[in-house]
Amino acid sequence: MIGEISHFLAFSSSIVFMACFVLAFFSYSSNTSSISIFVPKIFVLGSLILITSFLLFVYLAIIDDFTMAYIASHSNSNLPIFYKVSSIWSAHEGSLFLWVLIISLWGLFFLIFRNHSTTTFYPQTIGIISLVVACFLLFLLFISSPFERILPFGVPDGADINPILQDPALAIHPPMLYFGYIGFVIPFAFVTAFLLSGRFEQFPIAEIKSFILSTWIFLTIGIALGSWWAYYELGWGGYWFWDPVENVALMPWLAGTALLHTVYVSSRSKNLIAWTIFLSIIAFTLSLFGAFIVRSGIIDSVHSFANDPTRGLYLLGMSAFLVSAPIMLFVKNLSKIFAVNRVKDFSKEFFIGTNNVFFITAVFIIFLGISYPLILEAFSDSRVSVGSPFYNKVFAPLTFITSLFLVFSTYSKWSREIPLIEILKSSASIFALTILSSIVIIYFVNNYEWWLIGGIFFGNLIILRYIALIIDSVISKKYFNQGSALAHIGFALLIVSISLNAALSNERTFSMSVGDEVKFNENTIEFDNISLQKNSNFESLSADFIFSNGEDTFELYPEKRKYFVRGEITTESDISIKPIKDVYITIGEQQSNGKWIVNVQENYFVRLIWISAIIMSLGAVLVIRRKIYV
Amino acid sequence: MKKDRKKRLFGVLLIIGSSCLGIGLILYALNSNLDYFLTPSELKQSDENVVLSSNTRVKLGGMVKKDSFFINENKVNFEVTDFEDSISVIYEGLLPDLFKEGKGIVVLGKYNDGIFYADEVFAKHDENYMPPNLELD
Repeated sequence: MIGEISHFLAFSSSIVFMACFVLAFFSYSSNTSSISIFVPKIFVLGSLILITSFLLFVYLAIIDDFTMAYIASHSNSNLPIFYKVSSIWSAHEGSLFLWVLIISLWGLFFLIFRNHSTTTFYPQTIGIISLVVACFLLFLLFISSPFERILPFGVPDGADINPILQDPALAIHPPMLYFGYIGFVIPFAFVTAFLLSGRFEQFPIAEIKSFILSTWIFLTIGIALGSWWAYYELGWGGYWFWDPVENVALMPWLAGTALLHTVYVSSRSKNLIAWTIFLSIIAFTLSLFGAFIVRSGIIDSVHSFANDPTRGLYLLGMSAFLVSAPIMLFVKNLSKIFAVNRVKDFSKEFFIGTNNVFFITAVFIIFLGISYPLILEAFSDSRVSVGSPFYNKVFAPLTFITSLFLVFSTYSKWSREIPLIEILKSSASIFALTILSSIVIIYFVNNYEWWLIGGIFFGNLIILRYIALIIDSVISKKYFNQGSALAHIGFALLIVSISLNAALSNERTFSMSVGDEVKFNENTIEFDNISLQKNSNFESLSADFIFSNGEDTFELYPEKRKYFVRGEITTESDISIKPIKDVYITIGEQQSNGKWIVNVQENYFVRLIWISAIIMSLGAVLVIRRKIYV
Repeated sequence: MKKDRKKRLFGVLLIIGSSCLGIGLILYALNSNLDYFLTPSELKQSDENVVLSSNTRVKLGGMVKKDSFFINENKVNFEVTDFEDSISVIYEGLLPDLFKEGKGIVVLGKYNDGIFYADEVFAKHDENYMPPNLELD
């Protein structure tokens, strides 16, 4: 019964959202403010119905209603409540339900936190958000319904959630990522409403700045969580694989990063408005593209859901429908939108604009990497995939150029031309300092690959420059954008940690039986014991390794687990975390001679990669909090 | 006025030139870093026709041949077969959880003198996974 109520509520909310959309656009033509007052109220009503529907679904998952086909095939009565809830977003239908819910939540946030002093075209913005919610709701209800029943009797225990997904990081990762993806619906809807309004004299983008920033924070943390999970759970010891599904999350992130910089410019000096509009549309389009890639099964990936062409077709059609109107309006009105005042050479706007080009290039590169194999496959017989060497090779120089322009921009002024030679002169001391410190670091690392030298140099350059700025602002007590400094230092640390990790990390595979001792770098590793342990939903082979070097000894316990319900076998790594490096161990198969395959890795500065993401996000939080941005 | 136009022309040419260079470099990098997906018999044929240089990364898909798995000096050895031809694979590292003789597998690496040196081994998370292009009788 509750299942039917939940289904019915989801259905009714779709009608309410459609009504909201129609009403919002009625209010454009009829020029009556009386109608537009109702739009937000109807939106709130629709959202409340949808939230209730979702909460009922969560309740069904908690009480183990296995007559619901979706819950029966993705949850299990032995799971802790936490995972019963997170099992909802472990597969296509349920995660789409969460996705729809989050779109409407962003709409609610927009109504609550928007800047009330200026009311321009916010009813229409809400109308467009309603349209997006309604489109996804129709997709949910008619093509991927999680509300189907197994009647008359359900299954007794449920099929269980995939064991590698039974993990706290992965339970929070999808909601975080979805908040990040879908948050771009606000700039998209706002910009579309602006284009539809036809009044281009004023571009009140300042109103949605903090929404763009908070979306970006969610996306950054979401991606970092996924990377952290992959590192300890998948047993490969890597944090980024350039897998298509990771790439589709990186594309909106890059577009979003460019967007939050241009928004800063457009609300300050009325420049780069066309960029801001373009990026707002693109960021959301890329989020839709991500949904399409992951859910259509068109690309083979560890993360993708099962293959279903109908879903892909609907998603593609819907994305085209949602995105085409704003793009056409944008192109049609381009001449009116372009600001009259040209960007001055080597002003702050100039550098931000140039870096935008690099960000879009980065998006294009990833897009090419994802779509090229599909195109080639359609026109020829060869099946190819684009691997990590391509991305690494192309991204490194792009990052270096962007970093250089970032540092130049800190010497430039808003709306004022400063000759390049002057910028070079004033940055000479920082460059000298950077060269010195980089030489020292690279000497100690003792690796002379071009990407390492570049990574260390440009990372150092940014960090030293911002340290100089901080010292300067403390002495002169001048205004200083701390959030931006923190975020950019985070970015620099990311470059440095990725470079050092790639240069220093190493691994070895041993074949050992109990009692054996091997040497790995400065460590002596002793295979002490292996034993079989039983748990509530899996049994595990737990090994005990004793590591000792001159200074200390520690033990690590990697496992191999077999889950009862699905019969799946998983490898559980064990990691010793030290400030500069992780010692990472996994255990593999037992061979016919009784020995075990053991893989040991030393991963340098891998923690710093996620810490950098946190620092970047904290920087963005500071910017929102200090209202510099609003 | 004239000077301004000249400057503008120079700017436009600079942008066009650098974007052509950029796109060219990207496409070059793309082309030289493609992983070709092949079955063992396709790989053997392409070896004869010398389509692949020894530096091309190849994804080899097939089944792990029964009774071909052994370990020698910490290196994993096995054969990948498509029931027409099979290729010996050498790999150092941890095998994925679903690695089994007689099951589907994809290995990524380089092919040299009849031996495939794998950098990565993937077994699909789906136990019923079959590599594409492989038809069983």
